[in-house]
Amino acid sequence: MGTRMNQGGKAITAPDLASGAPSPPDSGRTARIRWTSRARSIADLERELARMWAVDAAPAGRSAGAVSAAGAVGFPDHEAHVQARTSVLSLVVVARSPETGQRAAATISRLSGRHPSRTIVLSPADPDGPRWVDAQLQAVCLVPDDGGHQTCTEVIYLTAGGDTGRHLDSLVSPLLIHDLPVATWWPEDVPFTARQTRDLIEMSDRFIVDGSTWSASGRDRLGHLADICGPRLAVCDFGLMRQSRWRESIASTFDMPGYLPYLRSVRRIAVTYGTHDETGDPEGTNIVKPVYQVAWLASRLGMRVVRPLRPAEPRTAQSTGAGLANSAGRPGPQQAQGGFDARLRLGQGDVDVVLRPRTSTMPGGTTLRVELLCVRRGSELRADVTAEAETVHVRVWQDGVEAMERRYHAPRRTDIDLLAETIERTGPDPVATETIRMAAALVASGNDHENPR
Amino acid sequence: MAGGERSDGRPKSTPQPAPDPEVTEPALQPVTTPVKPARRGTSQGVAPIRQLRLAGAVRRRRTRAEPVNPLREGLRLERMPDPSLMVLFGATGDLSHRKVIPALYELWRSNLLPHEFRLVAAARRPYEDVTFRAEMRASAEKHSRVQPFDDGVWSDFAARMSYERVDFESPADFDRLAVRLKEVDAEAGARGNMLFYLATQASAFPVIVAQLGRVGLDHETHDGGWRRVVIEKPFGHDVDSAIRLNREVGRVFRESQVFRIDHYLGKEIVRNLLVFRFGNGIFEPIWDRRYVDHVQITVAESLGVAQRGAFYEETGASRDVLQNHLLQLLTLVAMEPPAMLSAEALRDEKVKVLRAVAPMTRDEVTRNVVRGQYGPGWIGEEEVPGYRSEPEVDPESETETFVAARLEIDHWRWAGVPFYLRTGKRLAKRATEIAIHFKPVPHRLFVGSATDPEPNLLALRIQPDEGILLRFVAKVPGLGVDIRAVNMDFTYGSSFAVDSPDAYETLLLDALLGDGSLFTRADEVEEAWRIVTPIIDAWLDVPAPRFPDYEAGSWGPREADELIARDGRHWRRI
Repeated sequence: MGTRMNQGGKAITAPDLASGAPSPPDSGRTARIRWTSRARSIADLERELARMWAVDAAPAGRSAGAVSAAGAVGFPDHEAHVQARTSVLSLVVVARSPETGQRAAATISRLSGRHPSRTIVLSPADPDGPRWVDAQLQAVCLVPDDGGHQTCTEVIYLTAGGDTGRHLDSLVSPLLIHDLPVATWWPEDVPFTARQTRDLIEMSDRFIVDGSTWSASGRDRLGHLADICGPRLAVCDFGLMRQSRWRESIASTFDMPGYLPYLRSVRRIAVTYGTHDETGDPEGTNIVKPVYQVAWLASRLGMRVVRPLRPAEPRTAQSTGAGLANSAGRPGPQQAQGGFDARLRLGQGDVDVVLRPRTSTMPGGTTLRVELLCVRRGSELRADVTAEAETVHVRVWQDGVEAMERRYHAPRRTDIDLLAETIERTGPDPVATETIRMAAALVASGNDHENPR
Repeated sequence: MAGGERSDGRPKSTPQPAPDPEVTEPALQPVTTPVKPARRGTSQGVAPIRQLRLAGAVRRRRTRAEPVNPLREGLRLERMPDPSLMVLFGATGDLSHRKVIPALYELWRSNLLPHEFRLVAAARRPYEDVTFRAEMRASAEKHSRVQPFDDGVWSDFAARMSYERVDFESPADFDRLAVRLKEVDAEAGARGNMLFYLATQASAFPVIVAQLGRVGLDHETHDGGWRRVVIEKPFGHDVDSAIRLNREVGRVFRESQVFRIDHYLGKEIVRNLLVFRFGNGIFEPIWDRRYVDHVQITVAESLGVAQRGAFYEETGASRDVLQNHLLQLLTLVAMEPPAMLSAEALRDEKVKVLRAVAPMTRDEVTRNVVRGQYGPGWIGEEEVPGYRSEPEVDPESETETFVAARLEIDHWRWAGVPFYLRTGKRLAKRATEIAIHFKPVPHRLFVGSATDPEPNLLALRIQPDEGILLRFVAKVPGLGVDIRAVNMDFTYGSSFAVDSPDAYETLLLDALLGDGSLFTRADEVEEAWRIVTPIIDAWLDVPAPRFPDYEAGSWGPREADELIARDGRHWRRI
């Protein structure tokens, strides 16, 4: 599959499925490209989409390498026929950089067939150059090894050059499948205030982002994300979804009837996150994930924000800041400068929130530890949760005595798993919405005027 | 049930203020005692066991509201099963190896079992914990739905597994078991919750239940420890034995503690049937005698009896499949919409369908039921022996391996609509489906067309590839008006990426959560036997017809085709 240069812009290309590299996670099924063609305009593309299901298509097993010819050419062949399709949604992916486009395309190719959908990978290129459109169209079918029904997905790789790329919604609208929900996946920094973003959001039913990849601390974007959450638009953040193993482990700790009452008297939440930044710059590390950890607990337990998150005082003035970790007997040796604190209110009591950076080899912003301190009628419960690649480790101390230690087998999830999950769901997720709103409240306005350095 | 209410098997505890004797009208008080709701939906005809346990049900009503973990909201399970012990009787048997252990492993792997979960395996053979675990590991690895097998997860799970040698007849063994369970319970912190799973021969069910009762293992404790019993099929072999077994179980356990498994009910598409019928607005209005011509339900297997010859000799197709799977599918297709998705409301509606099927007289059996037995033949590229040459089978056996029946449901919705049911071993392929055949159009408009429009058909496929097919006619492109039937086909696997859980995973989790929706209730089992017993009895008097009478790899005896052809219809080609 050749990469086509066009007036200085680079057209995004489909991953070469038939050459064997990506195999879908389904066992017992083989992915086959059943149709491939190319179009130079949206009208051409629409015609191709209609043709794809009407004409006999390339038979299974035909090498995709043989069909890389340019131009809108189908491959009529009377040996196989693309089966009627069952589509559940249209998925729009916005990839502003070619790298993101290729990465997203790879993820989607691994997903295709698990979800009969029409996927449109949009890639604006060379905004100052002349206008052009290059679209590559594929029908990828999953053929069960034991015969039976195949399931097909259409994938359109659409690169728009010049100012065509500024009107993404106009490009996408004619390509959507009637009546089906539209999910938009924006894997990079989302320019929330740009008009084209607003237009795309307007036509979507589901908006998928990954807050943990946003640049700087990601705090400002959290507010925008909360703003677009509503009854009509379901918002999914991979950063939040990825933490479900943390949430399940923390929740199951409080399934113990003896511990459950302590949830009403949380007094301190400390989240340690990885950083590569030694300077303690508040914008140096993305903190979306640690903020979500706090926001989930706060929204589930009905807390409200008394003082939003602000950069913590420099280390010396805050020697007790690491109190929870110290009292648990494990001072953090690689504790980095910086961090944040906030105050929440639960019932009549205040809840201290600390986000603590620690130098780590993990990607910046990865949650390394969540600690909870609850004080109820003079009795103290401390829960300490850490996660590794495959397991989550929970320890609980009651009045200083270790009362529970558990390991949960919970592997880290890949983007493919997360995308599959978001696409499967329909309707808004009230818990996610509340968490995102709480996260926005937590970071509110703190970043504008309170920058100590 | 998807998104349904989980009932915890006990009456819901709405905290009620203590009645003030000064204020309440004394005359009304006794009438409105909680007896009413507890009785609601139980059958009026056959109620021996419910009468027996009714007092107990009322006495044990819990007043304390279950505390809710606010952090669970929105997670995969809004409620985790309580810490509990599962006692698996017949742990060395085929069912445990193939289904129960792999399902438990999978539940454990996906973190759906509580940390305090313990499995105590009980069977007759002597085993050390270590050897038992090793044997189960091999089975779990072989039969696990998710590959590759995860050794780390398994060793975590296996550490929660222990083996007890128990002779089901021996009181001393059960005394010992009771002591042992108490120890395991205390050590695990399972809070007295115990699930007894009877994966044994049916003859052992009453023995084990009586023993459990004798040593007091059925008693739910004051601090909330529940006790439940899961009973595998076959539940009885005719009406009397089913009533007797229900009564024997009922002497020890309340009905809400009893979970009778029909694993078909745990299958995804069977549960989807309810969603399909009651979650879509367009089908229910035509789901009755005015629009439906007839219904066909097929449970076809291409396998023979394999190593279960001795068992099958005793049961035959009518007891093995017709009495449970086929009739359960029938109830789900034909039932009225339940008022809510609770276990009782659902099962009330299902049992009403069974009650509306009139038992057949001998003549009706001759006319409306066909039995068959397979002879040698070919399945695909494999040559297979006839039933009578299978291991452990009498060479002159008269056991039926095929049964087809025409049933009618005598009530407002379905009067006059025949339901054709068929099941068999060694049929052409493995396929289970429900086909709703709609009536033809009332007026033949397209007289010029070469073919008449075929009536619409809605087929719900249960296996092998779960899905839904709707057939309608369309015009063949061209100058004339030619009509051809086309299919609109929805395949379950193609719209949802997640692997459906195995039926046993669904059912085990439900039993641990105390949700009885997908389990058959005592009256359902009895009513199903009331339909099937007269058929079996009628056959006892008449020698089996020219067995074997169908070739392995065919679609059953010719009489089955004649049965439906008599009504001017034919079996749908699957």
